[in-house]
Amino acid sequence: MNSKELLIRDLLVVFALAGWGLSIPYFGSDFIISMALTCLMYIALSSSWGLFCGATRYLSLATSAFFGIGAYTCALTLEKFSWVQSIAMGAGIAALVAVVIGAAVLHLRGTYFAVLTFGMTELIRHAITYWEKSVTGTVGRVLTVVPERDTIYLTVLVLALGTILLSIAVRRTRFGLAMLCIGADEQRAQTLGVNTKLIKLAGFALTAAIAGAVGAAMSVRWTYIDPHTVFNPFIGFQTVLIALIGGAVTLWGPLIAAIVFSILAETLRLQAPQVYMMSLGLLLILSVLYLPGGLASLRWDTFKGWWLDAKAWYELRRYEWSGDKARDKARAKRKRELRFD
Amino acid sequence: MTEKLAVKAVSPARPILLSAQNITVRFGGLVAVDEVSADFSAGELVGIIGPNGAGKTTFFNAISGVQEPTSGKLMLETQSLAGKKPHRFAALGLARTFQTPRVFGDLTVSENIRLGLKFAGKRRREYWLWGEEKNVPWALRDIDGILRLIGLDQQSSAAAGSLPPAQQRLLEIGMALSARPRILLLDEVAAGLTESEIEDLALLIRRLRDELDLTVVWIEHAVTVLLRHVERVIVLHQGKVIADGTPAKIVRDPAVIEAYLGDEMVEPVETVHVA
Repeated sequence: MNSKELLIRDLLVVFALAGWGLSIPYFGSDFIISMALTCLMYIALSSSWGLFCGATRYLSLATSAFFGIGAYTCALTLEKFSWVQSIAMGAGIAALVAVVIGAAVLHLRGTYFAVLTFGMTELIRHAITYWEKSVTGTVGRVLTVVPERDTIYLTVLVLALGTILLSIAVRRTRFGLAMLCIGADEQRAQTLGVNTKLIKLAGFALTAAIAGAVGAAMSVRWTYIDPHTVFNPFIGFQTVLIALIGGAVTLWGPLIAAIVFSILAETLRLQAPQVYMMSLGLLLILSVLYLPGGLASLRWDTFKGWWLDAKAWYELRRYEWSGDKARDKARAKRKRELRFD
Repeated sequence: MTEKLAVKAVSPARPILLSAQNITVRFGGLVAVDEVSADFSAGELVGIIGPNGAGKTTFFNAISGVQEPTSGKLMLETQSLAGKKPHRFAALGLARTFQTPRVFGDLTVSENIRLGLKFAGKRRREYWLWGEEKNVPWALRDIDGILRLIGLDQQSSAAAGSLPPAQQRLLEIGMALSARPRILLLDEVAAGLTESEIEDLALLIRRLRDELDLTVVWIEHAVTVLLRHVERVIVLHQGKVIADGTPAKIVRDPAVIEAYLGDEMVEPVETVHVA
């Protein structure tokens, strides 16, 4: 497929998804809608994470910080401003914070970057807890003006589809190409004229803006928020896990993984929360070991390769267990001895 | 086809394009490049030779912005390059290759070329959305043009990492060309190639200079090939310039013979371009 055909395919898939997403509120039960909402939230979060972190190979654990900032901004502004304005402000402030954090830590790589972004998240969480406690004398925020359930659902749906459309667009621009090249060899990209610092900051801010917008849209679902729920590091971890298991560099990987995860989460979390966490860990280990490209790199040939490997393994074992191997060895030994006698 | 190559006469009147003055690079107590001065004129094909550890690559890093020199001045025409970031060097027309090809292995060959064209090689267009880009040589106009020039047009959609080493070296040169440079810095592009591949590469480099009017600075270990094709050689030894002149002069220089070439090179080297 050439790039034009790929574009058409991707747009058709987005179109189909939009149709499904729009139809769910009409026939779904409350349970289904809440599951779809979580699913859409993680589609937006992990697609936007993959957009920057997958391409540039910067493992950012700061998603929950931007999510929380968005949620808090929305909680504070929703009484005075409209719904769309509150979300835009959440995105804007998250992006602003990302620019500040990014300027400080984006020159680091690997573990240092991951640990520092996580540290920043904790710092922000504790700073807001402190501010709640000592400045305003509260522990959380109660959202009094809350939009309808369908409005929230539609907003998150628009954000998720928008993120995918944005990923499709960015992949085709020089911005996306530059991010990929930064991930592969930053210095080489520099010597070809890429202002890597600027590109990295822009990408990081873009990711943060989407996470902030999603946080703002999701905050109203809880009606009561405090730092420990919206800055929950689990949101950040799960975003990273979904993106990695799905295939962070690919367009559709995060989406596939997000759907798998939400179904797993909703079915297992209530009855057996430990099983859910265990299957999360198991999936991560399996995908890192056997499918480094993520679920999206699965092809028919991958299955065929596994099948052939398994068959070869079984043939070898049968050869051993049937005693043929031992017999062949003995025969060869006898032959050697005869020759030397 | 060697005898058919058009060779331009070297005239001393050509303006100086890049001027390095007293470049020193120090790593802690080690002086890798020690007060090296060299001028490169427009359209010149200059070779840099020297034994291992002579500071050739470090000097290259310093004049391509990858390594900031400890002291010294670097001028591109009348503009000082001191303290500029590597991407500015590239945008101003200094493109380089690396000793080991650093192609983007996961991307296709044409995407590897596209990056340079979209960043360092981007020139102002005559009309905003379409129309010709200004001051761009015809051969460097688009991805296909560059791929044809380096002879990789058949492999345009292959992953760069899957190419054999000789073609990765060509792609490395192509990536440098995609920055649409004025000065091309080649760092041991012929390392690990066979005799005939080296000869083809040398002819390609001559073509770049002759047809695209590039200034080429070429570091190489295969001294015989280099001396046959360049018109000026700079010899580095222990971070210092010990000789600077035409190949014919260099091979008779006693300091060069003692430090680097040895006795067997005293025989006059036959140069392809006759003055």
